Amino acid sequence: MAEKVKLFVNGQEVEVESGKNLIDAIGAVGIEIPHLCYHPALGADGNCRMCLVGIEDGRPPLVPACKTRAAEGMKVQLDTDKIKKIQRDIMELELINHPIDCPICDQAGECKLQDYYMKYDGQQSRMTVKPVLKAKKLDFGCGVVHDQERCILCARCVRFTRLITKTGELGIVNRTDYARVNIFPGRPLANRYALNVVDLCPVGAMTSKDFRFKQRSWFLTKSKGICHGCSKGCNIFIDHNREKYKDDIIYRFRPRLNEKVNGYFMCDEGRMTYKLENDNRLSAPQIDGKETGFNEAVEAIRRAVSQANKIVVAVSPNASLEQMHAVQQFASAVNAPLTGYSDGYFRKGDGDDFLIQDDKSANRYAFTLLGIDDSKAGFEAAVKGADLLLSFQNDLSRSLNETEMTQLLATVKLIMIDSSHNTSVAKAVVALPVASYSEDSGSIVNCDGRLQRYEVAVVKNQPACTLIHAVHLLGGEVKNGQEARIGLQASVAVLKDVDLEQIPAEGIALTENEVAHVAA
Amino acid sequence: MQVQVLSARFDIPDANTIEVAKKHGAYATLEKVFAMQPEEIIELVKASGLRGRGGAGFPTGLKWSFLPKNIDKPVYLAVNSDESEPATFKDRYILVRDPHSLIEGIIICCYAIKSHAAYIYIRGEYTTQVKVLQAAIDEAYAAGYLGDNVAGTDFKLDVTVHRGAGAYVCGEETALLESIEGRKGQPRSKPPFPAVEGLYGCPTIINNVQSIASLPFILTNGPDAYKAFGTEKSPGTHLFGISGLVKRPGMYELPLGLPLLEVIEKVAGGVRDGRSLKGVIPGGSSTPVLTPEEAQTVTLDYESMAAHKTMFGSGGIVVLDDTVDMVKLVENLISFYHHESCGQCTPCREGLGWMLKIVKKIIRGEGATADIDLLTELCDNIEMKTVCVLSAACTMSTRSYLNKFRHEFEAYVTNSASSQAAM
Repeated sequence: MAEKVKLFVNGQEVEVESGKNLIDAIGAVGIEIPHLCYHPALGADGNCRMCLVGIEDGRPPLVPACKTRAAEGMKVQLDTDKIKKIQRDIMELELINHPIDCPICDQAGECKLQDYYMKYDGQQSRMTVKPVLKAKKLDFGCGVVHDQERCILCARCVRFTRLITKTGELGIVNRTDYARVNIFPGRPLANRYALNVVDLCPVGAMTSKDFRFKQRSWFLTKSKGICHGCSKGCNIFIDHNREKYKDDIIYRFRPRLNEKVNGYFMCDEGRMTYKLENDNRLSAPQIDGKETGFNEAVEAIRRAVSQANKIVVAVSPNASLEQMHAVQQFASAVNAPLTGYSDGYFRKGDGDDFLIQDDKSANRYAFTLLGIDDSKAGFEAAVKGADLLLSFQNDLSRSLNETEMTQLLATVKLIMIDSSHNTSVAKAVVALPVASYSEDSGSIVNCDGRLQRYEVAVVKNQPACTLIHAVHLLGGEVKNGQEARIGLQASVAVLKDVDLEQIPAEGIALTENEVAHVAA
Repeated sequence: MQVQVLSARFDIPDANTIEVAKKHGAYATLEKVFAMQPEEIIELVKASGLRGRGGAGFPTGLKWSFLPKNIDKPVYLAVNSDESEPATFKDRYILVRDPHSLIEGIIICCYAIKSHAAYIYIRGEYTTQVKVLQAAIDEAYAAGYLGDNVAGTDFKLDVTVHRGAGAYVCGEETALLESIEGRKGQPRSKPPFPAVEGLYGCPTIINNVQSIASLPFILTNGPDAYKAFGTEKSPGTHLFGISGLVKRPGMYELPLGLPLLEVIEKVAGGVRDGRSLKGVIPGGSSTPVLTPEEAQTVTLDYESMAAHKTMFGSGGIVVLDDTVDMVKLVENLISFYHHESCGQCTPCREGLGWMLKIVKKIIRGEGATADIDLLTELCDNIEMKTVCVLSAACTMSTRSYLNKFRHEFEAYVTNSASSQAAM
């Protein structure tokens, strides 16, 4: 545990972590020091001057909190008239050249300028001269649109491209109030994390081309989730809304802090996977490509299962631990070999040393835990002599080429239980729609062996059947997630002492030490 | 009144060449210097009472002693030659007329602070100056005063000239360091101070050209000879640039402590015939203006200036007579600081532009009394809330005009009010 120091804030004694700057140290005990340019992942820059605090008997008596370490006995003044006036004055100066176009600004509702105006300023404008005019809707590339007039020059975006992506596309050009954030001529943003500048921007200067003008932020329900775009398992906010007469739609993913996984960031590609949750969804059950009723489809699958000579069951590396367990139990009950073959979910060489992984599936680590074979040889042995392939969300067309797929389907009838349309679904004799991860809950293990849990985020107007329930309807023993978790604890040694219902926010590393620690 | 300490070789033809300079004493003190211990030199400079000539007047020897002891990092000297403050034109004389005094001073300083690399950060617009200075440095290398064996000793010293790109703010010592490192010239937050963490993260001493050029005299003649000039607390001599509406504007070397009015009268010839004195800017555009009454009692030293609530500054004295429109002067002043704000931190970036627009509005005859009050308040709101003191240079001086010549601002406002009423 970090060392603690005692200091005074407005005369009140508080105990905070030593070594941290005042914004973080005092913030941790619930006292806000307003700040615009400081961001924990980008360090202190000290340019906004909003975090100036008084230090009683200090030299100097006025310091930027972002650059001042918490020290024993320090007397921090936040509520004196002098500090309150400084905060008001800084806000006034931030706003004199700001367009105050909140009604058409995407940031409205989650804007630091708005929040701080209400909290620390609140005065009428005294600006009676013409404001500085700057450029608007500049296309910075990577789907980032910049408005120089809204910009407060905090340089978070600039520091992000320098410190985090190390690509340095952004800079502040010119001096004085001509200063503005810009790209170099003809050299737009070109990195795979560029949209993080939209989240980092404390005001509406950086907007996402994809999201802008789609939703007011206050209408969005911000649910917690885990990105399924690759095996990193970045923690996200799933921002969704059900507009009148419409279905619950996801409008964006945003990174959610998890120091142990993704920090404050996520990649752009993962961010855009929200579209897969909205679009191209398999909504109606199909038999031979024709829509049918849910019960009819279930009946058809049950019939096929009972009539088959040899069944093979495939499961997706995106399935949760609970879903995998249910499928595994089902496969063993119907005496079918279970394969997790999904080579097509890899994009070799695509990963980097930050967040992006080669493996574009969310839970392959669990295959090892549950003993599910995902080798091609294992798959080929399994399908040999089989006449029915039951695939749970595993789109085999990603892993097999067209010839292989045709050969396979020449002898094997394919049944897909899936959430979206894909080539395999198109070729299936029966396709049964199930809920996708944003509509379900479950546990997954990321590429580093970190177990994380996600809950239901989106509830559709007509919720799809969960995968576990579908397995149960087909004859599987496991009825729901809770039963699956009990089964997992009994069958997977490393999960024996883990309460899968109570996984901490940062997840659990499935190493013996951490598991033992959490259990204790 | 005039003396010749720094300017001793200024009037000698070709004193910028090493041959002539040496004939008149340049580099003669180095033998004595290298016979001393570095610590002894620091003590000697402390004893001379030499104060930083960049404007703040911080004791030079004391500044050197702030370097951390027993460190394994290199120590750097940065010579601030980014002379850009309006009305300041002293260092350029040293650079062109006697560059070897600067180089000799650099050798003395670097030996004292145990530095083997000095950077001279020179204002980008100083094109002639940089040529002359570089030629002198080349001569010094050729003559063995710079390089691996300075003056035949095993002391190694390299001097690099770094040209600025035209930003006043790079005269702020940490912006200067940023600029040398190849970044946009923006001041750093302090602490850490450059003596601890300066150029390339190493301990760095930053001194003004004139401070460094004063060292050869002090080492040659001893601290007492230097203290014979000036006052007890402000010893020595200073190059004063006297400009404005006087009969004989120019650069004059004077001991500190002389009465301001006497200098204006006797050295610069006083205001033009038939004109009366309206005010004096004592030390560069950023120093608060003095009224004729205040000018009566002030003397040219750090203490007297502080007692008159202004600053000694850079020695750039601007004499204003009764033809000067103080409101337009303030417009010019703010316009400069607005243009030169680095744009890094909010109060300076946004505030100076606002102040400029308000003054322009007043001059256009569209102002109201509230605008004068707002201008005064903005000075308070901006000052000392920023990373560096550039904005304070603007607000402190602006406030002095608003306080001492408010009636001139009010005249603009009243005239506009009456003309509006007439319409």
